[in-house]
This record gives sequence, structure tokens and C-alpha cells, in this order.
Amino acid sequence: MNPAGSLKVRLPTGEVFALPIHPDERSLAGMLSAAGLSLNTRCGQRGLCRGCEVELIEGSLTVDGATVAAPAIVKACQARRDGHGTIRIPARSRVEHRPQVGETFAIGIPYAHQPLFTPVPGGRDTGFAVDIGTTTVVVLCVDLVTGAILSRAGGFNEQIRFGDNVITRIEAAAKPENLAAMQRAIVHETIRPLLLQAAERAGRALERFAGGAVAGNTTMLHLLVGEDPTSLGSAPFTPRFLSGRQVLAGELQLIVDGLSPEIPLQLLPGIAGYIGADIAAGVIATGMAYDEVPSLLVDIGTNGEILLQSNGQLSACATAAGPAFEGGGLRCGTRAVEGAVSELRLGLNPFGLELKTVGDVPAGRAGGICGSAYLDFLAMGRSSGLLSSKGRFEPAAWEQVPEPYRHQEDRERALRLPAGRPGGLTISEVDVALLLQAKAAIGAGIETLLETAGIRAADLGRVYLAGGFGMHLNLGHAIACGLLPGLRREQIRVVGNTALAGALLALVDRTTLEEMATLQARVEIIELNLVPGFEDCFIEHLSLP
Amino acid sequence: MNELHPLTQAIIAGKRKEVPDLVAQCLAAGESASAIVEHRLVPGMAIIGEKFKLNEIFVPEMLIAARAMKEALKVLEPLLAAAGVKPEHIVVIGTVEGDLHDIGKNLVAMMWKGANLGVIDLGVNVPPARFVEAIREHQPELVGLSTLLTTTMPAMRDTVKAIRDAGLSVKIVVGGAPITREFAREIGADSYAPDAGSAVDMAVALLQGKA
Ligand code: B12
Repeated sequence: MNPAGSLKVRLPTGEVFALPIHPDERSLAGMLSAAGLSLNTRCGQRGLCRGCEVELIEGSLTVDGATVAAPAIVKACQARRDGHGTIRIPARSRVEHRPQVGETFAIGIPYAHQPLFTPVPGGRDTGFAVDIGTTTVVVLCVDLVTGAILSRAGGFNEQIRFGDNVITRIEAAAKPENLAAMQRAIVHETIRPLLLQAAERAGRALERFAGGAVAGNTTMLHLLVGEDPTSLGSAPFTPRFLSGRQVLAGELQLIVDGLSPEIPLQLLPGIAGYIGADIAAGVIATGMAYDEVPSLLVDIGTNGEILLQSNGQLSACATAAGPAFEGGGLRCGTRAVEGAVSELRLGLNPFGLELKTVGDVPAGRAGGICGSAYLDFLAMGRSSGLLSSKGRFEPAAWEQVPEPYRHQEDRERALRLPAGRPGGLTISEVDVALLLQAKAAIGAGIETLLETAGIRAADLGRVYLAGGFGMHLNLGHAIACGLLPGLRREQIRVVGNTALAGALLALVDRTTLEEMATLQARVEIIELNLVPGFEDCFIEHLSLP
Repeated sequence: MNELHPLTQAIIAGKRKEVPDLVAQCLAAGESASAIVEHRLVPGMAIIGEKFKLNEIFVPEMLIAARAMKEALKVLEPLLAAAGVKPEHIVVIGTVEGDLHDIGKNLVAMMWKGANLGVIDLGVNVPPARFVEAIREHQPELVGLSTLLTTTMPAMRDTVKAIRDAGLSVKIVVGGAPITREFAREIGADSYAPDAGSAVDMAVALLQGKA
């Protein structure tokens, strides 16, 4: 028996095991993750959400300095070992391994057939395109002779256990052993199985692969090749490299039976620390660089990127929405996983509330609310008069909401959706305040970038909305709540995963790779922190129009 | 309770466009700049802080109110300086080296000004040595460190250490989204506040504890 006491974990399968002691692991969530049981710590282990709740069925734990005895439900990120105890992990608290992978995309330009790797008919005639997202990774298998996509495979980026956003990964990489572990997580645990899957689906032996092209943000590409990303974690956010490096499969330890270790992986070139190769890929794949009208590329993610083209002049900014649109930090927030409430219709007079879930799971079994539904709520809450411009429930309108839909806790009011767990899923005023910060970061970023270039939103010929979130949101609502301020629906083209599109393009037409490489010198980077008017603009955008 | 002064009301409601005129009216009526701060602005920010604590308003509304107050101070600060008015308490604040975020820090600074503290704002990306230098120069009772990036939390630790190593007796308070009470304790800061509302209470408590 050790002095620190023993902590047992009962899995949903009934299996029980003792949690090893980790002297440097602080929270229960941290200990569990070290033991390979990552919980849904989506708010960054800050105790704000209920994603990592576990049941204490026997013994005790320390929470916030006080001892909590069984039976109790505790947030694992806030709990520490305290003598003996047994916990049970409910299925809903485990990280959901069914991502919605952004595999769909549009290529907006005609392209030639000049493969990056010259195919040898009957020999090495196959290539692969990879998009390394912070959350998800996609691999396409491509016939280099015809340029046709043969198959796709997608999954979670296994680096997630080191943190769910780039900053937490950069922080983790400060320890050399983590840097190596993260490289292994992306190469060996993520890309390798996806490549095997894609090759099998395509019916191509790995011996036939001639090479690949890889897109990703600057941090992801650093971690892929094992470069220390520490300098990307603080001002002036200088990357170790941006150029489109070529590395050999063997150098990356991408070891797959049949795959030659000599084949190259071509990294796409980036533009700046927070305007990465994924965006460079998008600029070329959408064709915006060649548009005759002013055009804008917007990628809404935890780190939003915005790039403007006007008369061939390019400027860009990075804006940090944070994880709210992925459900992070919100009471009932979740990613767009199966069973998440993804659409919401709200009317006040008469009161009406309709929900839709991902995969049409019955509302009673909904597991949480995802970004697109929150956006619906912001827009319809405001248009129905339920929300004030400050994002609070209007007192008179609140009274019109039937009792079962109203929830109040400690002066915090929330709309209760007839869905999910007993007591329902709620959208509270605090959730709204967090969502407003996220939408303000994007909205103010767009407005500031346009203003700096002297372009009005109405003058934009095209707006390319890239990224997974962009594919699932209601455009009208995104405009109405100010996420895409001043735009009209006709201006917007939803273009999906343009990073993947760019990797594919580079693979089949190497001249596009050259175009991408020119961007770093061509794009003027606007540092929003340094634009005097940004703070004011951000504060303006904290309101609902 | 008395009806609130229109300027106080405008601050609370965040009507910044109305603020300069209302300040001018007060001045025209013979109120001194320091009286305006003390009787018109401070009560407004106190109410904002109170409402925030009661969950009646959130950060966005607080930011909007702070911006209105900034308008008032734009007019009043030069007058205060010209009149040689010295605040009773001096505090220094800044965002630590490596981080450029300052909206939260500016809000805390504004709320501190709203509690009638003399605030010296060092801006963003402030190296430890610059904090030490400013503390030597201005002799504040309190210094506030802010950071929004988890990656610059070590810079916050270094700053606390540099201040302590320099043998300065100033109280150190830390804040910013990734900061926790535990972290504050671990790096040897005197206090931590999760938001601008409690930052005021905490500062006042620390300053009084000293007196
Ligand atoms: C606005 C914003 C920006 C603005 C900053 C503008 C500015 N002048 O500050 C812009 C868009 C420029 C920006 C840039 C970046 N950002 Co930013 N940003 C945000 C955002 C959306 C809101 C932060 C904010 O101002 N909140 C409002 C204020 C009022 O709240 P607050 O700062 O927390 O302050 C309160 C308390 O913390 C406390 N407090 C704060 N300081 C102090 C000090 C003391 C002494 C005390 C007592 C209390 C206290 O009181 C305040 C009031 O209640 C957050 C995400 C989010 N939704 O929170 C990301 C966020 C902070 N940013 C983040 C990042 C990573 C960046 C970038 C580095 C990269 C990027 N592109 O995403 C860049 C920097 C690039 C560059 N070249 O500089 C991350 C940090 C992640 C992490 N784990 O560290 C966040 C969380 C978003 C994310 N991606 O997840 N960002």
C-alpha cells in the first residue's frame, strides 16, 4: 500500500483497475489521461463545463481543497487524489472518437496535370494528400497518372491528448520528450493508420506510392517534422520555418510495410506563424488570388484566419475566437459529434422551439449542443426579441417563455431545451457572453482587415467560407448575429476543407505549389493587437446587431 | 437613495458619446476634476462592479461601461495632472513579456481607476526588468500582472521572481484567463482575481490591509 492511497477506476465494461501514481500529474483528469483514458476536458480543465464529470462511488477525493466523499459526481479536472477511492467514468465523459471530418471541398480553379512526383506506370503511380488539422486529419489517395481521387480516410489527430488547441500543444512541446511523443502521435498513430486505410480502400499496394503533399497550420507542420514550436507560443510568434520543406518518409519514421522510406513528403509553404500553409493552400485552391473582384477568405476555427485580396494585393490577420464554437467552455457545449443538437429554431410569439441533431438522433438522447445551434440561438434569440443587444434575456420576453423552458440558477437565466439529460440541455446568459466574445473576435477581425485596406463589406465580390464549421452553420444566422458582419448571403461561397484541396492541387499540379510559395512575400500581415482601433471594434462587436 | 447623476448614469449605461458633454457640464457648474472623479465616476464604477458580482451584467457590459469612463478620463486626467492632484494609492499594471493581449488588462486598469487608484499602465509585452524599473520609479503599493496565453505563464513567474529578487516590497496580484489561484500561490504572487470586479475588491482589501 503506498502512502498516497489508492485510486481505482471502474470502466463502463465493468473492468476495475488501479490508477498508477504520477507525481507530476495534478488533477484526476490529468492522471486518467496519462493512463490512456482521456476525458472530454473541452474547457481546458478549467472546471467550466461538465465534460469530464466522473462518479465517485467509494472513498473520497479532494476538490477545491475540500474533501468530497462518495457518492458524488465530481469534475475530474478539479479533483485530486485524497486517500482511497473508486471512480466510475460515464461513457459521455470519454473523448468521443467519432469526428466529423472535413473531407468535402471545392477547387475553384482549373489546373494542369503536372504531378509533383512523376508517376511510373506499373511502378510508383500513386500519391497522397494530407491535411493535418489541430483536431482532425484527412488523407486522400490519388492516382498520379489521372489525377483522380481514389479514396479518403479521416480521423482524430492523436496529439489531442497533449491539448486540444495549438497553444496547449506548443506548451507541451517545451518538454523534449513530449516533442518526440507528439511527432510519433501524428506520424505513427495518426497518418500511418489513415494511409493504410486509404491505400486499402483504393486497392493500391504501398509499394506504388511515390510521395505525398501535406497541408497544416504552422504549429502542426513544426510538430510533424519534430521542430520545436516554442517560439510560436509568444510574441513575436516567429516560426522556425515556413518554407515548403521536403522530408523523406524514413526521416519522419513513417514506417509502413511496403512503403519506401525514400519517398518524399512535400510540406506546403506557410505565410506567417498564425497564417499557415493551410491558408496558403486555401488562397490558391479557392482561386481568390486570381479574382478580379475584391475577395475574402475566412476560416472560422479556434484560431480564425482572414485573408483579403483586392486588386491582387493580399493582406491577412489571425484572430483568436477560442473554442466556444466547438462547444468549449459552454455549459452544455460539444463538438459536432453524433447526437449533438446542431440546429435550433426559436419563435416567441407564439413560443416555439424546434431542434435537430447530428445523425437525427432523437432529441431525448442528445448529448450536447454544438456551434451551429448556438449560432442559431444568437440570431433567432435576437430576432425574436428574447435577447437584448447585450445578449441578455429581455425581462418582458422572458416572461413569455413557458415555464418548462425556463431555467434559473443563482441569478443566471437559461433557456432549457427539451433534450438530452434529465433537466434538459441549457443555453445560459453566461454561455451567450462567451459566444459573443468568440463571434466578436471574428467579426471585428473581418471589419478591421477590411477597414485597413479601405474596402467595404458590400464591395466584396466573393467571400470564401472555409473550414468544417463554415459548412454546417446557417449563413443567414451567421450574418445576422454579426459573425460575418455586413455581408450578404449571395457573396458567400462555402468551400469546405480548402487546406486539403490545396494539398491535392499541389500533388497533381506542382505549379500551384510554386504559387503558394510566393504568398509569404506577397501577403501583408496585419497584427490586430497593434491596430489601435481593434479593441474598440471588438467591444462594438460584443453586441448583437 | 438619491437619483444618480446623469454622468454616473451614462457611465453605467456605457453611453460614451454623451459622456464628454456631461463632463463639460459638471466642469461648467464649477465641480473640480477630482470631485467629478470621486462623486460621479467612482460611484458609477462601484455600481458596475456590484452588478457584475450579482451576475446582473457580464464582461461585455463592463467593457462598454469602462469605455465610457475612459472618455471621461480623457478630459479629466490632464486637468488632474495640471492641478497637481496626487492619487492616494499608486498601482502599476502590465501584460507580461511575450503576450500582446490587453483588453482584460485595460478593463482591470479602468476599474482600478474607477476605484480612485492612480494607475500606471506599462502596456503589453513588458519584460521583467521593465516592471522592476517602473516599480522603483513610481513606488506603487500594488503591481498587477496580466497574461492570456498559457505559454507566457512562465514569463509571469519570471516577473514575480524578478520583483522579489530586486527586494521590492510591493504587493503582486496576477490575473488573466489561464491563471488560477493555485498558480498564483505557486509563483509567489500575493493575490489573484478571476475578473475585473473582484480585482477591485482585492486591490482595495490589500491596500487597506497595508494601511
Ligand atoms: C480578443 C482576443 C484576441 C485579440 C487581442 C486584442 C487585444 N488587444 O488584446 C487578437 C485577435 C489580436 C488576439 C490574438 C491572438 N490570440 Co487571442 N484571444 C482573444 C479572445 C477572443 C478574447 C480575450 C479577451 O480580450 N477577453 C475579454 C477580457 C475582458 O477578458 P480577459 O482578458 O480574460 O480578462 C479578464 C480576466 O482574465 C481578468 N484579468 C485579466 N488580466 C488581469 C490582470 C490582473 C492583475 C487581474 C487581477 C485580473 C485580470 O479580468 C478581466 C476582466 O474580467 C480570447 C478567446 C476568448 N474567448 O476568451 C483569445 C485567446 C486568449 N487568444 C489566444 C491566442 C492563442 C492568440 C494568438 C497568440 C494566436 C491566435 N491567432 O489565435 C494571437 C496573437 C497573435 C499575435 N500576432 O499577436 C488563445 C490563448 C490560448 C491559450 N491556451 O493560451 C485564446 C484563449 C483563444 C484560443 N485560440 O483559444 N486574441
